[in-house]
Amino acid sequence: MRWGMAIELKRCVGCNECVLACKAEHFLPPDIFWNRVLIGEKGKYPNVTKLIYNVRCNQCADPACVKVCPTGATQQREDGIVWIDDTKCVGCRYCMVACPYQMRSMYEDGNAQYFPGQELTEHEKIGKVLYPHTPGVVTKCVFCKERIDAGLAAGLTPGVDREATPACVISCPTKAIHFGDLDDPNSEINRIIKEKHGHPFHPEFDTQPSISFID
Amino acid sequence: MESVKPYDFMVKPQQQKDWIDGRGNFIAFAFFLGGISGGLFLASAYFDNLLGMFISWLLAGAMGLSYMIHLTHPMRFWRMLMKPKTSWIARGFSFIMLFVGFTTLLLIIRQWAPDATGAIVTLKVLAGIFAFAQSIYTGFAVSYVSAIKVWNSAIVPVLFVTCGLTGGLAILLAVMMGQDSGDIVALENIIRVVLIALAVIIGVYLWNTTYSSAAAREAVKRLIGGSLAPLFWIGVFLFGIIIPVAISIITYFTEASSGLLITAVVSEIIGGLALRFAVLKAGMYTPLLPAD
Repeated sequence: MRWGMAIELKRCVGCNECVLACKAEHFLPPDIFWNRVLIGEKGKYPNVTKLIYNVRCNQCADPACVKVCPTGATQQREDGIVWIDDTKCVGCRYCMVACPYQMRSMYEDGNAQYFPGQELTEHEKIGKVLYPHTPGVVTKCVFCKERIDAGLAAGLTPGVDREATPACVISCPTKAIHFGDLDDPNSEINRIIKEKHGHPFHPEFDTQPSISFID
Repeated sequence: MESVKPYDFMVKPQQQKDWIDGRGNFIAFAFFLGGISGGLFLASAYFDNLLGMFISWLLAGAMGLSYMIHLTHPMRFWRMLMKPKTSWIARGFSFIMLFVGFTTLLLIIRQWAPDATGAIVTLKVLAGIFAFAQSIYTGFAVSYVSAIKVWNSAIVPVLFVTCGLTGGLAILLAVMMGQDSGDIVALENIIRVVLIALAVIIGVYLWNTTYSSAAAREAVKRLIGGSLAPLFWIGVFLFGIIIPVAISIITYFTEASSGLLITAVVSEIIGGLALRFAVLKAGMYTPLLPAD
């Protein structure tokens, strides 16, 4: 089993709903983003193409971050998800430097709040209890592994059942993001990647990303 | 993130900041200290200078301290020994520990049991191996990062080791001047050769890097003609090469004053520090989105 995503670039309208859904799901502190919407342009007037890439940790099959981590804090599960054990991270930032996709952030200020000088919002208060982040460690997207694990335990199928699927996928209003098992030849995600010629983002980085983009 | 415009983010080559801003300065400093500590030990072992070896031991300790300041969770530092199989930081940390351990034993035996020649030679060789490893690993830690093309060069470890050696030799020169040693002429000859080698390696590195990728070319442009030009030309070129080389030429033909030699020593140390900062600051990521 290896979880992966396929993102249809033509469907993405750059609404940032996935970014907000991720923020809400993981109670991410200010200035910490586990996914982003990159906007660029290609070509020259009058032949200009607008590029909208929704990016996050690629959960690479051969991740540079796991190799360079000196403590073993960054680990890869059997299903391919790369995650960080907060209790082992020393904060050397080698993984941040080594990630060619720059998809890692350091959570530095444990007291950071969305509205400084005011009381924490209810959402921030709940987050500190339900999903506490450890200051001084590196953070990144984990493909909503909590949802996947809970869903599988309940007999659900990630990518098919909403409760077992990453928050960014189910929140996308244009259904641009697909999720599923890359090791299952009959999975919907493999069919989409094959039929629509999905390709990884910057394959030259040679890390075998689990996320494919469809032009 | 506020300073980055949405359209620039990951569209233009982005400078790496994690190993140069804020706490990141201390890893650059640690790399510098590791380099001169290793270089100083090798030079001191060659000239059998006890004080030089002791100073290299102190510098290795300072390197460890600089590392600790860089970490956000320094009390977990022992975990950095856990993955030497794949991580250069873990390997480097092991090298530092082993170097400090062997050098401690060497200094103790050399001071209090100077007749134990076999043990001294064995420890000198072992400490020398780890001094070299401690010096070169900093280059491998940087060159392993394939995401930053200006770093991802086989020349970087050679550059860092040579630069560490020049710093180490310079400190040893100061030590030997203080001791009024008769080996200063031999040491000066070695310094001349290493300085010329360093200048050649820097030139080859920059030349070679311009061919690796557009981001690397951009980084070299920043170094030699952009925002990092003062650091490169004044710090690395002037202090690291020109001043020491000029002084070494003068000392070749005439008897140099100790003031002139001290100027060369300080200049080389500043140059070595500037080189580490220049290389780390030059690191730029390849843009993720095409922008033509």
